[in-house]
Amino acid sequence: MQVTAQEQYVEFGIENEQYAIRIQDIHEIIKLQDITQIPNVKPYVKGVINLRGKIVPVLSLRNLFDMQEKAPSKSTRIVVVHHQEDTVGIIVDRVSKVTTFSDIQPPPDRVGGIDGNFFVGIGFTKGGLVGILRLDEVLLHE
Amino acid sequence: MSELTDMLAEYKEVFLEELEEQLQLMDEVILKLEREGDSGSVVQSLFRAAHTLKGSSAAMGFEEMKQLTHHMEHLLDQVRGKKRTVTPALIDLLFQSMDCLKQLKNDIEASDAPATDIGRIVKNLETFASTKEDEPLTVSVTGSETGSETLRPPLSLSDRLKIQEQQDAGHRVYWLQIGIVSDCVIQGARAYVIHSMLSEWGEVLLMTPDLESLEETLPGSLTLTFLYAGIQEEGEIRSLVTGLTDVACVTAELVEGNETAMAVTPAATGKAAAVEEASPAGKAKSQTIRVSVERLDHLMNLVGELVIDQTRIHQVERNQRRRFQDDTVSELGHISDHLSRIIGDLQESVMKARMLPIEQLFNRFPRMIRDLSRDLGKDLELVMEGQDTELDRTLIEEIADPLIHLIRNAVDHGLETPDVREQSGKPRKGTLRIRAAHEDNQVVIYVEDDGAGIDPAKMKASALKKGILTEEEAELLTDREAVDLIFRPGFSTAQTISDVSGRGVGMDIVRSHIEKLNGLIDIDTRLGRGTSFKIKLPLTLAIIVGLLVKVNGQTLIIPMSNIAEIVRVTNAEIQVVRGQSVITLRNQVIPIVSVHDRFKGEFRREEHKHIPLVIVGSAEKRLALAVDDLIGNQEIVIKSLGSYIGKVDGIAGATILGDGSVALIFEISSLFHKAGAK
Repeated sequence: MQVTAQEQYVEFGIENEQYAIRIQDIHEIIKLQDITQIPNVKPYVKGVINLRGKIVPVLSLRNLFDMQEKAPSKSTRIVVVHHQEDTVGIIVDRVSKVTTFSDIQPPPDRVGGIDGNFFVGIGFTKGGLVGILRLDEVLLHE
Repeated sequence: MSELTDMLAEYKEVFLEELEEQLQLMDEVILKLEREGDSGSVVQSLFRAAHTLKGSSAAMGFEEMKQLTHHMEHLLDQVRGKKRTVTPALIDLLFQSMDCLKQLKNDIEASDAPATDIGRIVKNLETFASTKEDEPLTVSVTGSETGSETLRPPLSLSDRLKIQEQQDAGHRVYWLQIGIVSDCVIQGARAYVIHSMLSEWGEVLLMTPDLESLEETLPGSLTLTFLYAGIQEEGEIRSLVTGLTDVACVTAELVEGNETAMAVTPAATGKAAAVEEASPAGKAKSQTIRVSVERLDHLMNLVGELVIDQTRIHQVERNQRRRFQDDTVSELGHISDHLSRIIGDLQESVMKARMLPIEQLFNRFPRMIRDLSRDLGKDLELVMEGQDTELDRTLIEEIADPLIHLIRNAVDHGLETPDVREQSGKPRKGTLRIRAAHEDNQVVIYVEDDGAGIDPAKMKASALKKGILTEEEAELLTDREAVDLIFRPGFSTAQTISDVSGRGVGMDIVRSHIEKLNGLIDIDTRLGRGTSFKIKLPLTLAIIVGLLVKVNGQTLIIPMSNIAEIVRVTNAEIQVVRGQSVITLRNQVIPIVSVHDRFKGEFRREEHKHIPLVIVGSAEKRLALAVDDLIGNQEIVIKSLGSYIGKVDGIAGATILGDGSVALIFEISSLFHKAGAK
């Protein structure tokens, strides 16, 4: 995937770290909802929610990145993305803003303890570094 | 040209559907012919079916099929014309041709190029047709119809009524003459396209030459005549038609109101007869339409959404009523009530639209039984009942394979040969009874034979030999359980493996297939008297009645069709046998399965409370599910968890409840497979 500097991203955070997803991959951003747990699924899949009549799976970036569980707060959001045929929700601590990056560097092997494969690249903003998520890997991580 | 290929691909679907129907019809009719001998109408309907196929396969460019049906038609014409009588040889030949046609159909389904060789069968048909007759017919029956007929067909009374109806509705009725350019590659397909476009803009009341008789016309121009009703002005419709590909010229003539009152003189008497003959079929067509299953599925989904939203509105209304007491709230109540009635009706209508009589499936059996009994040297009578029982179209497709398997088993293993039957004092002719019926919101299908029945001792011995059971286990088995061994994977009682049954697709596959459809299969057998299989299915796959239960604060749904009964027991009634909690219910020991561990919870036994147990069944097996609370039953719309989550063990899907939350639907059969594996 060729990443151009002009593309718009939605930036969001978990703990003190910043991540981003291309804006065209994002369907909508909703508040945290009641999640119905499903047994026998991958540990980071939290369950399913009802998104206006559609059943949408929700996964937790915290669990995926092996971070500590944290009780949801007022700012917790579900970022609903469209990926291939699927609609999937990603739980994040907060959604910050829509942004562009002046420069994007390829990701190192590991980004703060997280597998570099999860990222397309590292974007530079005034606020600091932002990990741009590779949805293929995030959603289909084994 | 690519546009044409697209169109053809689209029509191929339609063509294949029609083909399926016609082939089934022909099978039926040939069987009837064999049974009852020649009566004019039987041969006539067979002839018509062959003719229809010939026309449509020619229009689609399937040369082999056209040729084959042409020869069949030719032969049938001789029978129709009393030049030939119905003999067993003729019936066999017709059946052979049918098999060949079916092969061609498979070829077409797989690709566009038929690979089946029709040379031999065509030759057989030809020789057959030319024997005994001094002068074989040289003129094919359709010969007179293939010419480009430009004359307007005569109007029958019903046609005139239709015109009147359209005019009363404020539509304009036109005679359209559409010339197709002479270098058009497949005129037949083009005619189909024009027909379908016209049907989109308005309604086609009549068409000549009709779609069925459109052959690969001789090079040259083809002129189609339509009687068309629509809202367009004369100029408008003309320019619409001219805009279509390959249209050379168009004339449109408005049919005046009073013209319909006059009888239009038939152009040619022969033609008139042909039209008259075709009119019953044409009439039937105008009353039904083909809709792709996808569209119906979509409709069903939308209704499902409505059902869910309605439950939510109802809940909101109830909440409001508790808080406020004013007119607005009671009005909301009225609206909500009305809405729920309408949605109920809508749901029923959509469900009905998806339903087909099981006849569709049953019709395949007579031919199958005929061949089977012949191959296996058995003499049997097939009795079918309840063909008009309706069930969801998807279900009919899904149940076909298991049912066919059961029937084959019954003929192969169940029914004895005539000699054996005679020795055991039964009539030489066996009976296979297939019946379908509605039983409280479910469909039940029985496959019953009056054959030898299943011998529990033989079952045990066979299972031992195959290593499915150990000696000890075998001794503990009751007769009932021994019979149920038939559903074990890897079990097949066939002494010799025939191509009829015993090809490794065992009864376990049949059972799991049925359970996948939220159904149940049950077996009842009496040694020497026969065996009866009972299949219970829900009416539809999309909406089921489910029991809502609470487990660890989460609402779960158990499909009603899996539930045998619900009991409440006290702690004292629960016994523990070898570490497994069980209860005894009418002398049957039922293991208790806690649902909680699947949801990372603990089953808290509260001493003072009765524990609700939901007894679920699969065949004769029973399991008791311990739940925290019973909420009640409700119609629910099954939704899949989506491809992202995929198939989850133990979960059949999910639904959205009245409060907007998602509830999971239990897959009961997986519980049994788990329990069986232990």
